[in-house]
Amino acid sequence: MTRVLIVDDAAFMRAALRKILDNNGYEIVGEAENGAVGVKKYQELQPDIVTMDITMPEMDGLEALKNIRQFDPRAKVIMISAMGQESLVKESVMYGAQTFIVKPFNEKYVVETLAKIIKK
Amino acid sequence: MEETLAWLEEEDTQKGKFLTFSLGSEFYGIEIKYVTEIIGIQPITEVPELPDYVKGIINLRGKIIPVMDVRLRFKKPPQDYNDRTCIIIIDVKETDIGLIVDSVSEVLEIPEEEIVSPPEVNKNQNRYIKAIGKVGEDVKLILDCFKLLNDEEIEALEDIQ
Amino acid sequence: MSSQFNLEPMLELFCYETSQCLSELEQLILNYEKAASYNDQTIDEIFRVMHNIKSSAAMMLFNHISTLAHNMEDLFFFIREQDPEIIDYAALSDLVLEAADFIKLEIEKIKNEDEADGNNSLLISNIQDFLAYLQKNNLIPDLPAARPRSTSPEQYYISRDRGSILSELNVFKAKLFFEDGCEMENIRAYALVHHLKELAEVFKYFPADIMENDDSAMIIKDQGFELWFQSEHENRVIQDFFDNTAFVRDLDLILIKNPEELMQLEKEIEVEVVTSPDSLALSPEEILIPNTSCGQMALSSGKQSIISVNVDKLDQLMDLVGEMVIAEAMVIQNPDLKELELDNFKKAALQLRKITSEVQDVVMSIRMVPLTISLQKMNRIVRDMARKLNKEVVLEIIGAETEVDKNIIEHISDPLMHLVRNAIDHGIEDPQARKEKGKSLPAKVIIEAKSAGNDVLIMVKDNGRGLEKEKILKRARDNGLLSKPETEMSEREIFNLIFAPGFSTEAQVTEYSGRGVGMDVVTKNIEKLGGTVLIDSIPDEGTIITLKIPLTLAIISGMNVKVGSSFYTIPITSIRESFRPVAKEIIHDPEGYGMVMVRGECYPIIRLHEKFQVQTQVTDFTEGIIMMAENGEKTYGIFVDELLGEQQVVVKALPNYIRKIKGLAGCTLLGDGCISLILDIAGLSDDI
Repeated sequence: MTRVLIVDDAAFMRAALRKILDNNGYEIVGEAENGAVGVKKYQELQPDIVTMDITMPEMDGLEALKNIRQFDPRAKVIMISAMGQESLVKESVMYGAQTFIVKPFNEKYVVETLAKIIKK
Repeated sequence: MEETLAWLEEEDTQKGKFLTFSLGSEFYGIEIKYVTEIIGIQPITEVPELPDYVKGIINLRGKIIPVMDVRLRFKKPPQDYNDRTCIIIIDVKETDIGLIVDSVSEVLEIPEEEIVSPPEVNKNQNRYIKAIGKVGEDVKLILDCFKLLNDEEIEALEDIQ
Repeated sequence: MSSQFNLEPMLELFCYETSQCLSELEQLILNYEKAASYNDQTIDEIFRVMHNIKSSAAMMLFNHISTLAHNMEDLFFFIREQDPEIIDYAALSDLVLEAADFIKLEIEKIKNEDEADGNNSLLISNIQDFLAYLQKNNLIPDLPAARPRSTSPEQYYISRDRGSILSELNVFKAKLFFEDGCEMENIRAYALVHHLKELAEVFKYFPADIMENDDSAMIIKDQGFELWFQSEHENRVIQDFFDNTAFVRDLDLILIKNPEELMQLEKEIEVEVVTSPDSLALSPEEILIPNTSCGQMALSSGKQSIISVNVDKLDQLMDLVGEMVIAEAMVIQNPDLKELELDNFKKAALQLRKITSEVQDVVMSIRMVPLTISLQKMNRIVRDMARKLNKEVVLEIIGAETEVDKNIIEHISDPLMHLVRNAIDHGIEDPQARKEKGKSLPAKVIIEAKSAGNDVLIMVKDNGRGLEKEKILKRARDNGLLSKPETEMSEREIFNLIFAPGFSTEAQVTEYSGRGVGMDVVTKNIEKLGGTVLIDSIPDEGTIITLKIPLTLAIISGMNVKVGSSFYTIPITSIRESFRPVAKEIIHDPEGYGMVMVRGECYPIIRLHEKFQVQTQVTDFTEGIIMMAENGEKTYGIFVDELLGEQQVVVKALPNYIRKIKGLAGCTLLGDGCISLILDIAGLSDDI
């Protein structure tokens, strides 16, 4: 099963994503409530994919992305963004994010995205 | 979806089955789906300010359950308890209660055709009888468990009249 | 509505988290109001809270909440980025609190399964007006709808040293669309190009300004995205690439073979070397490796390491511990062991008792929650009331970290609110009056919480005008509440009149208190928790109302007693002393009721066998035991046959079918399986 790490400061969003991924045969190996914890957990757990919220306290998604990519240049990170965060998303693509999903997301998009990313 | 069906099926297998017990010379039946267990008479702790037919509470493996003397509920003369006296524990609408009866008989299956509406006589116990079940030559009075538990309003009205 | 979620748990989580966010928000605002400015961290936190509420509300399709939060987010984004000098912080706080109130109300509706039908248009227009005002007064021009960070202009890069640009490689043209509703198509296009560059050399794409111009998303939505590139890879590999790119649909991939077309292409390509990296390497200094120990991360919201536990599981645990205590008693006090000398057994039993006791304590402590949040909620109440009534009042909270059982927390907020409102409405004088009396300004309301033995004390004190006995007596007289001649009433008894139902009348209903409901609501609520309310006051100096609530509801230390063949248990904390009376200590009043003399004072006696209609041989006072029970201010004697001993008892509720009986607080199981009824000392005393 594909192993996923969910990083988002909102418990609700983590739960929503977890639900979708659970239903679709993904294994959630961990959750993190900010970028710093996310980086640490990435190092510990070495998931196949990371979903990364952009706006978080302590360390935001972009910083965490940079850190993770530095640690593992082949890390697959999918950014979770809101509308209006164009520049941040651009930057994250530049820093190696595979793609992004826009909130509020729906199941079909999430599943499709992860399926395609994992193939690469 | 499956769970719903399973429950429905359970209902069906329990339908038409009644636990019968006796009070004096009359036989009564309770739908088996309400019956949790049957125990022998055991020490009852009295509680003040209860109606006469609620004898008190018992300790059933740690659970506190109130017990009702069905004879008194039906305004029949009370009888001393002996070792044949039983308590039928029923669960009605999430309320557990024990019914003290003279003795318990058996579980009978009574087909639908043999179940008819109750007659109009005998006011005292009539309100608690839901139907009459015919078994060969005998007649079992089928209890309405809900009424058994909650009949205060009707009693109060009657008192006023 | 999306059928993808089983809505119930998500809805609950949404309501819970949003409520948490709103409480945090309120606290932030109130803290900063005092400081009369907001620091960067606060602004950022407010921004993030609104952002989260916006996202989750949108996921649950509560668009009116989401839009409101979005507008708030924009406002705070503006403040964060532009750092305007001129801000009316008071108005800003009001605005945020109003938005928070709106969302709170909608959440309540949602929780009650009502229509969440609030109209946010007024609030939104207020927020937008505020934003406009900020822009005007700080001479900051309109921000574009998107929130740009500074990025250097990017253009496509072609290496210089190529003779013919088009070599032996395959030249492709691709045209594609993105899935409807995937949003930010221009960024997706950018990501696509970015990743394609690992496989191919990308010459050109249209629209070209996908990075700079977010409106290009519209063009891509309507007309699609076109790119031209060359690669050593075959068609199949390229096709795979596109197939594996998320959100791509309607791909049209062509291998350009036609020489004329190729020529055309070459001409169109502009050779401009721009140093614009399309992947960024990080310099070593930029890496932040977080500390491996979690403890070092100071989370600004002050949260500790917490896991959330389903309350049902906690309840289950509590029940099991209760059963364990009973089972332990059944073993140790087993009648089978009565006559035996069992030293080793006794030692082991003692050890078991010790461990069971510890388990008890720990489990109880798990359910204990600090009062902090309940008390801090009062800040808002004080602030709002003071504003609306034009009184100057500050709130001081002492002992917020005092812990109480979770059950209590839920039921303490309403009574507290009522008391605080009352204190400010009726107790505190307006500033003018205070000045004239030479009293301090601002006035103070103090909420103090502390634990005292088995109870928790929560006191609401104010330094207002205090209670006026005459006024109280008059009101009680007018409402027919006097059961005793006024001259015989103690000060306490007079004060207690304000708790009588019907004390508050229509005549002095203010918006905030005295809606004919009055203080008796407070007493009812506290009594439900097994507690008592005490009141004390000094005219012109202030009033103190004390809520005394037993700490734990489920397991108490009780004294078992016997009357006839019935058993009863009395909470140890209510017993002052017990003794076998001698004849001269007993006196009978004119009506034949027994009274007992203790150290010169006379107390009434309740004969349990009479009260509960129990048969017993022991009817003479001198043959039984009198226990002096204390409840708040009333002390009285309870006459029983004999004392059986002290025991930790688990309070079990009497079954629902048996309605509440006065004088009984529940029941418990004794070591030998018998049921003992637990006395409600307060309830028993009502008839005296």
